[in-house]
Amino acid sequence: MKTPLRKSMGAALAVAVALTTVPAVAKDTVKIAFIGPLTGGVSAQGLGGRNSAVLAVALRNQDEDAAYTYDLVSLDDECKPNVGVQVATKTAADRHVIGAITHYCSAVAMGAVDIYHKFGLPVIVWGAVLPDITYGNDYAEVHRVNGTMINQNEVAAQFMLDHGYKTWAVIHDTTDYGKGHNKYFSEFLTKGGGEILGTFGVTADQRDFTAELTKIKDLDPDVIYFGGLTPLGVRIRQQMDKLGIDAQFQGTSGIVSESFVEGVGDLAEGTVAFREGAPAEKLPGGQFFLSEYETAGYDEPAEAYGPFAFAATNLLMDAIEAVGPDRKAVTEYLADIENHESITGPISFDDHGQNTVAVITKYVVQDGTWTVWEDSAYASGDRALARP
Amino acid sequence: MDIGLLGQYLANGIILGTMYALVAVGFTLFFGVLDVIKFSHGDVLMLGAFTGFTAFLGLEFVGVTDPWVQVLVVTLVAVAGTAFIGAVIARYLVLPLKAAPPLNILLITLMLGTAIREAVRLFYPNGSNPKPFPALLPDASTDLGNFTLRADSVILVAVGLAVIVGLHLLINRTRLGLAIRAVAQDEETARIMGINYTMIVLVTFAIGSGAAAFAGIMNGLYYNEINFGMGLLLGLIGFSAAIVGGLGNLYGAILGGFLFAALQTIGAVALPFASAYKDVFAFGVVIAVMAWKPTGLIAERTSDRV
Amino acid sequence: MSTDTQTAPRPTWLGLPPLAVGLLVVVLASAYAWLFLHAESQVVVLVLLAVAALAAVVGGRTGADRVLATAMSQHSRAMNGAIVAGLLAVIALFATDHFPLLMLTTVLLYMTAALGLNIQFGYAGMVNFAGAAFFGIGAYTAAVMTTQTGLPPLLILILGGVMAALIGFVLVIPVVRTRGHYAAVVTIAFSVLFKTFLEVNDILGGPQGLMVDSMKILGWDFNASPVLFGVEMSFYLNYALLGAALAVLAFVFTRRLERSWVGLTLDAVRLDDTASACFGIGITRAKVLAFTLGNVMVGMAGALYGMMISFIAPTSFTFSDSLLLVAIVLLGGMGSPWGTALAAFIVIVLPEKLQIIQEYRFLLFSVLVIAMLLFRPDGLLPRTVRAYIPGWRAKP
Repeated sequence: MKTPLRKSMGAALAVAVALTTVPAVAKDTVKIAFIGPLTGGVSAQGLGGRNSAVLAVALRNQDEDAAYTYDLVSLDDECKPNVGVQVATKTAADRHVIGAITHYCSAVAMGAVDIYHKFGLPVIVWGAVLPDITYGNDYAEVHRVNGTMINQNEVAAQFMLDHGYKTWAVIHDTTDYGKGHNKYFSEFLTKGGGEILGTFGVTADQRDFTAELTKIKDLDPDVIYFGGLTPLGVRIRQQMDKLGIDAQFQGTSGIVSESFVEGVGDLAEGTVAFREGAPAEKLPGGQFFLSEYETAGYDEPAEAYGPFAFAATNLLMDAIEAVGPDRKAVTEYLADIENHESITGPISFDDHGQNTVAVITKYVVQDGTWTVWEDSAYASGDRALARP
Repeated sequence: MDIGLLGQYLANGIILGTMYALVAVGFTLFFGVLDVIKFSHGDVLMLGAFTGFTAFLGLEFVGVTDPWVQVLVVTLVAVAGTAFIGAVIARYLVLPLKAAPPLNILLITLMLGTAIREAVRLFYPNGSNPKPFPALLPDASTDLGNFTLRADSVILVAVGLAVIVGLHLLINRTRLGLAIRAVAQDEETARIMGINYTMIVLVTFAIGSGAAAFAGIMNGLYYNEINFGMGLLLGLIGFSAAIVGGLGNLYGAILGGFLFAALQTIGAVALPFASAYKDVFAFGVVIAVMAWKPTGLIAERTSDRV
Repeated sequence: MSTDTQTAPRPTWLGLPPLAVGLLVVVLASAYAWLFLHAESQVVVLVLLAVAALAAVVGGRTGADRVLATAMSQHSRAMNGAIVAGLLAVIALFATDHFPLLMLTTVLLYMTAALGLNIQFGYAGMVNFAGAAFFGIGAYTAAVMTTQTGLPPLLILILGGVMAALIGFVLVIPVVRTRGHYAAVVTIAFSVLFKTFLEVNDILGGPQGLMVDSMKILGWDFNASPVLFGVEMSFYLNYALLGAALAVLAFVFTRRLERSWVGLTLDAVRLDDTASACFGIGITRAKVLAFTLGNVMVGMAGALYGMMISFIAPTSFTFSDSLLLVAIVLLGGMGSPWGTALAAFIVIVLPEKLQIIQEYRFLLFSVLVIAMLLFRPDGLLPRTVRAYIPGWRAKP
């Protein structure tokens, strides 16, 4: 029992503990919560987000100007709606928790927002992309720093059409993430004049895609669009090569991760994908986040949505700093957020609590790293995408 | 549809079927000897793949770069290591529950599977993300119209089938196989005949787990990607394949494996409606087959029924 | 035979008669459940786990378990009443705490579902690995009925069970024809098929899931917090009480079934179907009955669970959730309702309490279950072989 406990704290949390135990003027402690998938298939994203939130809290507690000491409670929603409702109730019913940074999985967030509203707990979504989470209700308590899949696919469709691609084959996973991406991308693409030759739904744990890909080979599209997360993306890109398919590979925010490049190796070169938010590495705050994350020495990378979790945690703490540890006051404060500085760019919430200035960044893999399109050799014309 | 494409589907299906069959063979062995469902089989497969991957990293570290040597060492280390773990599982988790209802072994192996999976996820460096398994086999390919045949695929199928045939010979042609079959048929009589029951159970679990590790390596070499959750679905399909084919003989496992691969390929390609329904289709057919042939396609020869 | 047991000396523990021991155990168990549901820190959870392990060992060594068994069989009415009172007391103590009530109700509903599976596994010897699918059918029925029709929710609860049974009939032919591992694969296939179908098909909300309306009885909305004696209670109190009623009903029904001729028939079919057939027992009829009864219970539990959670999606009803239900049945001991109750509490509450170790919780949980099975290979409270006849309602 001792070992897992000690290990669970790990190097990462040790940093946080060391920082919080620095003797200082006695400040009141404020409890906030983080909820995400810490076990199971998408736990890599959840752990990256958790670490980022822990980092934000640790840095804030280090800051002597902060009015409160923050205590972060991290909970696992397993990416399952029923468990999500459980931990949401646990968090929201605990009157000491002032606010929460919640959910990576959309279906979980959908189930949990009702609970937050019922208990009046202000939350900031850090990773779930389904539009309905903010737009499907009028809950003042629910906010989101990351963009929705609508914005992302609008930019993606336009970008690809501008580069002269005509025909697509779509592979998407059958979770809410993949199906939603398929829906919005197809919508924007057909509106813009692109043609979809075939759409293939696959389960999130499928390993073999040769049947689908062989059919795609026959359809011979210019681009294969993939709506889904990294593990599936890696397998599909690998198997495209096995079957000798030379179409352009296009992904969504779900594959903008180091593990995609690491998993695919050289084949990753030239893959394009889109993600909401300004690239962290291009903002001064982003550089700071990345280097701090590095210094803290976490076992897992921050992944695509780590910066959002970090930004959301900071926004919540800023709110508490400004109006004090009171749920109602924090909710009211968050409603008026306009151009709030963060490492993912300025945050402004619309009347549904959705961050409106969600910039969409275009990425391309160049020499083993996700590079911002405008800075890449592809944009300058030194390299070319497949079949432009 | 042209011939090249048809050939491509066939080739894909054969590789997939070989992999399923290898997993199913492991299940058949456990059923035969102990009459238990071992739900950790898929996760043992994953463990085998990760053992092999670690061996590969070790070889790179000490500077062995010849791909053939690497493949050989990786396979040997993975199979031997996983076989040993299989025997340990049998000795400390399965045999102590022998007197309990057989389904309780299902529960303990189910929990063991979770423990293995979570342990790899947590303790393997960056284990929650997929790992790039190296392509160690030659990737030369011939194109015949729409048909791309790669050397590594051919090698994998050949070796995979050889392993299945080897296992078949081991069970049916050797003294060890005779002992395994004796234990499978009647434990008490086998003991009276001087067969070391415990030893045979351990050896069977070692063989089954070794086969799983081999399937794991094959999977890694073919898909060039391994992750902590890869065993879940493979285990499930391997189990279903073994049952649908019929327990009690290895041909059933092979038949079941290829049937499943065929169903999935057909489901993805030929269904008039969306291909997303292919798993619904494949498992629906499984239910129908079970209603039609309640003891599997190749029926078990039972002699102990009253 | 019954006179023998009556004249046999009654066992005692620390000089206490069985009934006193039994009542003491009920009081202690209720207090323990209350403490455990309250525990939030690592130390407290750890200490409570150690206390439970210690109590089990000491109880076994000093013979308290046998005295307890005597109390259960000889004073069944008093004991059952005490247990229900203990459950209600725990619910009452939590009346204003949302989260513990939610957990407790979840335990009660999973227990109801597991009791249904117990009829299949423990009595009829049929394996069912699609428990979560039938649970899901109940929940989806509730979702569609509450949002699309004006039917009274209590009726919808029953309809949830009926739907589960009806869809179960699709599987009846393969399930009844096959046995053992072959039957397992039929239900596994159905479990996978069910979840994939819900995900792919958009009619029932697709992967995004569906909202479920709350339970309402005679205009009394279960999702509104009741005010009692001027104190606002948790709205989960409604569900906890209804869940408790459902669980008690399911429990009583299972016990009655076990003691009836139907139970005897099912036992015979499980132990030797050829011999049963020779004695004129309709094997098919018995199996269909057990399968349907079990599914009805699972479906009803699912319907109420859906209304309580108020949002459902396919990922809540996967094959691994079915395995969770099977784990409850097996860990408790097949065919043992008390074991099922205990295991439901462990399997549902323990992983939640391990939230404090975050990503390590399932690793530890699985290791703990393995340890429990190594110590008690037959399950926590294995079923005794029809021990009820001698002591059952023995005259004083």
